[in-house]
Amino acid sequence: MTERDSNKGVDDSDPQAAETDGGTHVTSDSVDAALDDIETTGVAGYNYAYLDEHTKREVRRAMLKAVAIPGHQVPYASRPMPLARGWGTGGIQASLSLLDPTDTFKVIDQGADESVNAANIRRLAADTADVETTTDTTAADVIQSRHRLPEEVLTDEQRLVLQVPITDALRKVDPSDTANRRRHAHQNYGKMWVHLYENVVEYGEINIASRYPTMVAGRYLMDPSPIPRWDVPKLDDADHLTILAAGREARIYAVPPHTSVEPLAFEDRAFTVERFPDQACHACGSTDTYLVEVSEETADEGGFETRYACNDSSFCAKRRENPALSKDHHLDQSGVDWGPGTPDAGDGGETE
Amino acid sequence: MGYVAVTAGEEVITRAEQLFEKQRVDGDSAELGIDQVDEQLGRLTAQAMSESGLYAPRLAGLAVKQAQGDTIEAAFLLRAYRSTLERYDETVTVDPGEMIASRRVSPAFKDVPGGQILGATKDYTQRLLDFALEGDGETSDPTAEWDVDDAGDPDRLTNVTELLREENLLYEPDEVDSEEPTDTTRKSVTHPPARDAVLQELARGETGAITALGYSALRGYGQVHPTLAEVRVGRLPVRITHPYTEEPVTVTHTEVTESEAVVPVYEKRDDPQFAFGYGLTFGRNERKAIGMTVLDASIQLDSEAEPAENAEFVLDTIDGMDSFGFIEHLKLPHYVTFQSILDRIRSIRKRQGVSAEGAADTGSTHQPAAEVSDDD
Repeated sequence: MTERDSNKGVDDSDPQAAETDGGTHVTSDSVDAALDDIETTGVAGYNYAYLDEHTKREVRRAMLKAVAIPGHQVPYASRPMPLARGWGTGGIQASLSLLDPTDTFKVIDQGADESVNAANIRRLAADTADVETTTDTTAADVIQSRHRLPEEVLTDEQRLVLQVPITDALRKVDPSDTANRRRHAHQNYGKMWVHLYENVVEYGEINIASRYPTMVAGRYLMDPSPIPRWDVPKLDDADHLTILAAGREARIYAVPPHTSVEPLAFEDRAFTVERFPDQACHACGSTDTYLVEVSEETADEGGFETRYACNDSSFCAKRRENPALSKDHHLDQSGVDWGPGTPDAGDGGETE
Repeated sequence: MGYVAVTAGEEVITRAEQLFEKQRVDGDSAELGIDQVDEQLGRLTAQAMSESGLYAPRLAGLAVKQAQGDTIEAAFLLRAYRSTLERYDETVTVDPGEMIASRRVSPAFKDVPGGQILGATKDYTQRLLDFALEGDGETSDPTAEWDVDDAGDPDRLTNVTELLREENLLYEPDEVDSEEPTDTTRKSVTHPPARDAVLQELARGETGAITALGYSALRGYGQVHPTLAEVRVGRLPVRITHPYTEEPVTVTHTEVTESEAVVPVYEKRDDPQFAFGYGLTFGRNERKAIGMTVLDASIQLDSEAEPAENAEFVLDTIDGMDSFGFIEHLKLPHYVTFQSILDRIRSIRKRQGVSAEGAADTGSTHQPAAEVSDDD
């Protein structure tokens, strides 16, 4: 049934029906009254979880299809959201389609819950979807993230929604979606391999920072979103479902639980994660987390010093309470492999 | 940390909004009414309606006021609002030939059936600042003293392209399915796109982008240099099927700008015919309608040789919501990805034996051979 057909079933005389089905119900046919409506209702006048039920159903169908074909980009009719495109509109559409009032929702932007954009997305979900919000990774049912996987291990109870700016790993080597879809259909990733090889010739190693091209379930080449390389191994054989959603580019793809995720690399040029040689978080002392550097002015004029800090601010807060806390502290079993430690060998990736 | 920081984040957002609103009300002038925006700055509301794909002059006035005159932001407000509305019905397809034209020029012929109607235009005005507008006194209608008879409703104007069609000089692009038209707001564009999807995306495109890409074809990055068959501004009826009588009824009118062009690029060698380009946009916006016409004709050439002729390139770049959002997202924090980029460049410098003091001169070429992935 198309959307239009189903709309015909809506009885226009019944405001209740119209409201449940499609967001703001405009009670009058005049523009003045519509303006009055806007002034008086605000966010409270919108459907549960902002999106109308048809849209949420469509997004969920796209997610199901994405789960069925891991790594394959599924087009969906990304709606205009009250956030700017490129600011997490795909992620929020996926999150709002997943959430129900019993869920607890966490939003992080570049590892931080307190980022202004994360706060903005969180307040849209809290205002319209009536969910609890949290900054604690282990307490969240749905986590929406821009460019990071949390340091704490995600479980099979949790769903991770990653915001995606550029959906296709092949965009790096060809801007044409038509050509790239053909390559995906034929599993023809030669152009990407050549690109990586040319990197090695030019620089001696692969010069890709984030958005590292990654094979999913041995079939589709995937752009894992601009997560650092540090986070890519966490997607491999993970317990949780990862949904990757792009609003501007109107595509959804997924890494289902227990799916192989393998970054492209050569036998003699292994995939390497970011290194922080001899550095620890200045706040909690961690040496096994993704660190970011912050420069601060020193007492002497014109001088500055660089300090490193955990990027995952929520986990860093826990580590400050308990420096020995492991990344799998909340699980029944321990020793769960989740992300790299901090290798101090700066060997550039040769495995010989 | 934790919840306290989160609360602070939300308070910061509210304060930033309040500062932005303060910029609007900070002056000593009287509050700008929505009607004033719609009536006196009609080009702004027209652009917002056109780029949002929502014909609602008063809502557009509100959006322009709220956005402090930023048309893309106003179009964005309208699109976000539009997407929450229930879609009750589709209108009956109307023939643009029915347009009640207030302006109509045909550059292709000296005279055309129905005549040239210059209408309201600034085209031949000398662009001199009118200091008389500076005062905030009474407005006066310069046409009040005109001695003209009301000629009643104009006759239906014969479309200039009809003349060419009769002679079979015009190539007809693929017929668009008017029973089940594509709606790119409900089904995202995939390539190659149907022509109605192209036209919808162009009609919603950002005016500056449409103008720039259309100009690129004229400037030499393309083959299309059209002759405009006509440019019209006027009102088109909006018709729906009456739920009881099932007859079409006119419920309102929309003001639109329409442009049609013939392009001396022959589609077939054995039967030379002009290619055809079409533009239609909400409100009065002749430059967008003409730019759209150039792009429609260019895209039909379906070549990757020139930007304007490549449907993917044009459709990927002309949407104001997409381009504005992604350009401005660069303001968001990027320190995770930048840390990753720093890791790459430090590693490569170390491998090449370059210290912080700079490179030993190895005679290497200085061409930017590759970029690190930072396009997020």
